Amino acid sequence: MTTVEIAGIKRRRAKDNVFRYIVYALTFCCVAVSLIILFYIFQKGITCVNWDLFTKLPKPVGESGGGVLNAIVGSLMLVSVAAVIAIPLGISVGIFLADNRGKAKADRVSIAVDVLQGVPSIVVGMVIYVWVVKPLGIFSALSGSVALAIMMLPPIIKNTEETLVLIPNTLKEASLALGASDFRTTMRILLPTGIGGIFSGAMLGIARIAGEVAPLLFTAFGNPYLSFNLFKPVQSIPLIIFNYGTSPYDDWRRIAWGGSVILVGFILILNFIVKFFESRWKVQF
Amino acid sequence: MEHLKSELDSLRAELTQMYTLVHNQLEKAQDVFLENKTSLIKEIASTEKLVNAKELQIDSRCETILALFTPVAVDLRFVLSALKINTNLERIADIADGVSRMVVHSKVSFDKNLLVKIQAKEAFSQALAMFTCLEQAFEKEDTLLARDIFSKDKVIDQIMNNATGIAEEYSKDSPENLLQAIPLLSIMKMLERTGDHLKNIAEEIIFYAEAKVLKHAGKTSE
Amino acid sequence: MEGTILRTENLCAFFGTNQILKNINIDIPEKKVTAFMGPSGCGKTTFLRCINRMHELNPDARAEGKIRLHYEDVYQMDAMTLRRRVGMVFQRPNPFPTMSIEENVVAGFTLNGLKLKSKEKNEIVEDALKKVALWDEVKDKLGKRATSLSGGQQQRLCLARTVAMKPEVILLDEPTSALDPLSTAKIEDLLYELKGNYTLVIVTHNMQQAARISDMTAFFYLGELLEYDDTKKVFTNPKNEKTQNYITGRFG
Repeated sequence: MTTVEIAGIKRRRAKDNVFRYIVYALTFCCVAVSLIILFYIFQKGITCVNWDLFTKLPKPVGESGGGVLNAIVGSLMLVSVAAVIAIPLGISVGIFLADNRGKAKADRVSIAVDVLQGVPSIVVGMVIYVWVVKPLGIFSALSGSVALAIMMLPPIIKNTEETLVLIPNTLKEASLALGASDFRTTMRILLPTGIGGIFSGAMLGIARIAGEVAPLLFTAFGNPYLSFNLFKPVQSIPLIIFNYGTSPYDDWRRIAWGGSVILVGFILILNFIVKFFESRWKVQF
Repeated sequence: MEHLKSELDSLRAELTQMYTLVHNQLEKAQDVFLENKTSLIKEIASTEKLVNAKELQIDSRCETILALFTPVAVDLRFVLSALKINTNLERIADIADGVSRMVVHSKVSFDKNLLVKIQAKEAFSQALAMFTCLEQAFEKEDTLLARDIFSKDKVIDQIMNNATGIAEEYSKDSPENLLQAIPLLSIMKMLERTGDHLKNIAEEIIFYAEAKVLKHAGKTSE
Repeated sequence: MEGTILRTENLCAFFGTNQILKNINIDIPEKKVTAFMGPSGCGKTTFLRCINRMHELNPDARAEGKIRLHYEDVYQMDAMTLRRRVGMVFQRPNPFPTMSIEENVVAGFTLNGLKLKSKEKNEIVEDALKKVALWDEVKDKLGKRATSLSGGQQQRLCLARTVAMKPEVILLDEPTSALDPLSTAKIEDLLYELKGNYTLVIVTHNMQQAARISDMTAFFYLGELLEYDDTKKVFTNPKNEKTQNYITGRFG
């Protein structure tokens, strides 16, 4: 090798290494930041996490102790009703988009979904205030669920569409060649085959809205008491974090940190569930 | 490859039938020639048509196998040798037919003494023995048996070498004897060619079974 | 032709404005193997897919002319009923990955909403798997995922799935081109055995395969049917010069 070539190799290798280390460093920063946040939350809130937190209602100002039972129940209500609304709807739209890929009608729907995804969460809340809260005359869990459902739709739709598109066309053709209808093909072959991806889409949708507070400000509104009524206002964990976290009372702020721990813990667990089932349900074509 | 196997089996069966047909023709020719059984002449003529049809059938089957199955290795050698064996067998049948026609044509009865001198019977026997040997060699793929042919052929060649001299001698006795000597010599020559064809068949059997080409090489009978 | 099961009359096929098939007229005999061969893009696969109307799945696709199955016009029939009578095996083995081996065999029934009693189902499964020479290999693991089988086994499973529906015609689109030589040989033997009971139409890129297993061979070129005759005649003395050039490897 000539000296020119040797010099070239050294420089190239050096450049290669520089870029590699930059990437490592930036990755480390990102990961470090998330770990620091998690650590901080747990550190602040772990002292508050006890049996009371999960079973007691919030105490009035001045009294210490209490818990976030009503917020937990409320969050579960909001999320489950939102899921019941959004999941079937989202999957259906996803199927539509996957089936009609490339056609004009699918493109238009796709744009609409993108727009929906871009709508700020607080604006969604305001719209639902006008559409649901005003006609019903009351803040309610239902309106909160509807707002959350709207926010859940884009990730579920996108995930479903992408999962179905990845399924090789030959599977669909095999089913059709046996004389099956499009409907049966979708329900008995395509959806079961894509269940892994669709499920993660749903879980990620839930994880997304579990911590939303803006849309709930004008819809679910909040409730200091335990409520199971869809048509009454209801408390939720993000709301309680928002309200109690900004209050001047130490007790209340501690509750807020406890709620944060619960919320973050819930989302982490959800993510692990997604990862676990994704690999178990991975389908070989 | 079941399809190819069944085609090859059919080919083998057809060749075996061809062997049998031609063997019978040669035996009948011997009877016509040596024992003057002129009744057999018509049989030989009509069977000749069967032989020709069989030759075409075998050729067609070989063509089918080569075109449709592109056989390789032992299968290919079998088909190639089958084509040549087929041709040689058909020539032998032609010779048998030729012998019987010669007998008809010559319109003479052959002098028994001359026949003995010229060893016509021995030549025919050798040829028929070679034939039987080959049939077995083909059926059992026994190349040792096939190699026995070469020594037997040498016997026929030897008889042929002497035949010319004997015929000449005989003709000198009287010009009428030429009427016997000429056809007789022709028949002996045909027998020699039969031996050559049988030798070719033996070479083809060895080629197919051992992938050895013995054509044009110095042969030894083992 | 005697014993014709499928006949096309001036069949033309289009993708948008592109004409793929030009006036195909062919009689396909019953219970025999008919092979379609030709260079890439000649329209043989399009033609095959017209027969069971899979061609229509493409929104730009269009077909003109007639295809008759036992004198019935295929385009007047309900497409799903047609596809139950005319089965298809594809190039890449495509067993349903969420189903077990036995579920795959009876998938045609399940997907058509036909309920089977347990005894019936077992009989159908055993019969179909025996027909494709797969029974001995899988009889102890019928409940296992279909994707746990090897490529050759999966393709045989797909064939079993088709055969279980007792179709009148089986269409095969290059069924062995994704398989290794041993699996290919097994499937060819299988097709040879099946032809006594089923009509098989096979598209193949492999001329030697067409020569080995088919009774009739059709040669397609640029959307036209140039030659259609006994396989032996096509491979020993083709009438059309282009056919000869193709099979001797002088083009395509």
